[in-house]
Amino acid sequence: MSGPLSPVGDSSGTGGEVENQERAAAALRAAFERLAPQGSDAWNFLAAFTHLGDRYGPYQPGASGLSELLRQPEPPSRRARRMARLIPGQAKAASEGSETELDLAMAQVVEAFRFLSARVTALEERLAGEDRPVDGPSWLVPAAELGEWVGPVVAHIVSHAPSGAVLHGDSGKGALLDALSDAGVSALGVEPRGGVALQALERGCSVTINEVLDDLAGRPAGSLGGVVLSGVVDRLPLHALLPLLSHARRTLPLGAPIVVVASEPSAASAAWQKPALDLIDGRPLHAETWEVLLDRAGFVDIAPLPPNGAADRRFVVVASTPA
Amino acid sequence: MHRGDAVGRHTLRLRDATRARGFESHIYVDVVEDDTRDETLPVVHYAASAQPGDVVVYQFATASFMAPWLAERAETLVVNYHNITPPDLMAPWDNHLALGQVRAQADLRLLVPRTTLAIADSAYNETHLVAAGFASTAVVPPSADLGVDLVAHDEGAPRSGRGARWLVVGRVSPNKAIQHTIAALAVTRAHSDPEATLLIIGKPATSSYDDALHRYVAELGLTGAVTFGGHASDDTVVAAYESSDVLVVTSEHEGFCVPVVEAMAIGLPVVAFDQGALPEVLGDAGTFVDSVDPYSLASTISALLADASRKGVLSAAARRRLSQLDLPAAAGRFVDLLEGLVASGAAPG
Repeated sequence: MSGPLSPVGDSSGTGGEVENQERAAAALRAAFERLAPQGSDAWNFLAAFTHLGDRYGPYQPGASGLSELLRQPEPPSRRARRMARLIPGQAKAASEGSETELDLAMAQVVEAFRFLSARVTALEERLAGEDRPVDGPSWLVPAAELGEWVGPVVAHIVSHAPSGAVLHGDSGKGALLDALSDAGVSALGVEPRGGVALQALERGCSVTINEVLDDLAGRPAGSLGGVVLSGVVDRLPLHALLPLLSHARRTLPLGAPIVVVASEPSAASAAWQKPALDLIDGRPLHAETWEVLLDRAGFVDIAPLPPNGAADRRFVVVASTPA
Repeated sequence: MHRGDAVGRHTLRLRDATRARGFESHIYVDVVEDDTRDETLPVVHYAASAQPGDVVVYQFATASFMAPWLAERAETLVVNYHNITPPDLMAPWDNHLALGQVRAQADLRLLVPRTTLAIADSAYNETHLVAAGFASTAVVPPSADLGVDLVAHDEGAPRSGRGARWLVVGRVSPNKAIQHTIAALAVTRAHSDPEATLLIIGKPATSSYDDALHRYVAELGLTGAVTFGGHASDDTVVAAYESSDVLVVTSEHEGFCVPVVEAMAIGLPVVAFDQGALPEVLGDAGTFVDSVDPYSLASTISALLADASRKGVLSAAARRRLSQLDLPAAAGRFVDLLEGLVASGAAPG
């Protein structure tokens, strides 16, 4: 075992190292917190009929009324009254305020319909994204660094003078992020393998530990300056690739670049371990297929980048949103 | 009530100590479990056998219909409080568990006017009793049989040739915040000890939290480095203490934490967050971290494991602290308080 780590805040560490470790620690915490289910469907259904405090507020599917209630700063008496409604047998006592029984009953009906509507929406979205491999595949496939493709990809991005940050999906150890930053382009990474992401975070890269599909889905329209997808494009099934490109298209402004760095279909069987080959639904696609998918997603100026002589059996297809 | 958990052991030893003083004593439970079927009676049978002058000791650890039932009865009531996990720590993971904690809080308030004496197992827990309004309180640590013999852990043994072995013992519950330990392990393996491993022993409190920990481990690339041991026998737990290098406790809320006492008994160093009752229970026998930062935790653990003299100092401090806690005599001290109630007339005997 080597010597101890320099703790955060230790005067022996540089300011940059401390900042990078704090950023990495925050990313690790966020990566775990996103796994909390915020209650359960069974509870939320029950709560829809009994929790009346936010009767006209937006209903959040999957969000816990109890969780929100516990965090709300409000007078103890009001909170206790609202809490009592969550406990069978105490609802009647709780209603002995300004609200009438009819108010409570009507609010319950309204809230129940709101809940059912939200559930239908959630189920529809779930069906649309069926087969999306949110559990596991990323860690079955080792992160593939861009290697000799970093230079050509950076050159292509810089030629578009992106108006905002460029996001790299499956950013690995962050080589592309470093190169983009060196070229004066703001870069964000999304990497689902936390152990790999840690290395980029500790060097000062801005990386979120997450699936890029989930990350893009949560970003506002037109909020990015460019998107680079590598690794993830080889392992996601077609059902997930279509919404991935759709979200990428939505988050890019007019004239912004997208870059797909993909493996030759025959390369995966040589590079992946047997569990990955057996368990992962996705498989690498041909360059021509990517051109079709990008076209279908609404991108234009679709073209392959010239081969760079690398022996890694990968190719790059570039495109952009309509100007 | 289970033999394998701290409250179950405490209750059995307390009953035995009470009987040893010449009192008749029985354990009544709301649910009769297989492993303690011979030791317990259904609580619904109590009313028929109640005697004038009975003292009822209510082991308070969670919500139960027994609380409102006791509130309506006339016997002298002693509440033995083992802490309520704050519901907001549970709510993001399991609303039903959280609601149980909310109900437990209501139960505790319900018992305030009926309780003659409230006994907490730590001074930290006693502050909760005082805040809830209990007028008469005391502190007696749990009389749980530690399940381990006092042995000298090999704190000076060389650890070359393998990575450090971290250990977590306790219910796999959101308030235990085991994710902080896992994150620190990832940092340690990346920086100083690529062979470091973590063994987690304990029964999951809720599948959502347990599932998330498994997924977190996979996403951090720690699948081969972290073992989820589940619920384990006493022998297995003792073997785990003996083969580990450090007990890591990153709980965000602890009312006492029996595993740290077990670790002290066996001479295993403890690194813990400075939370709840942990500073009180460990005293100067623990190494504390005051933030959830995985780098601070990793750094603290690595520094401790590399310092044989520091481990020796902590081991000596652990022996002193155990002597102060004197857990084998705790049941006797508890019964002293009950006898005091009888003698003072609070409980006509």
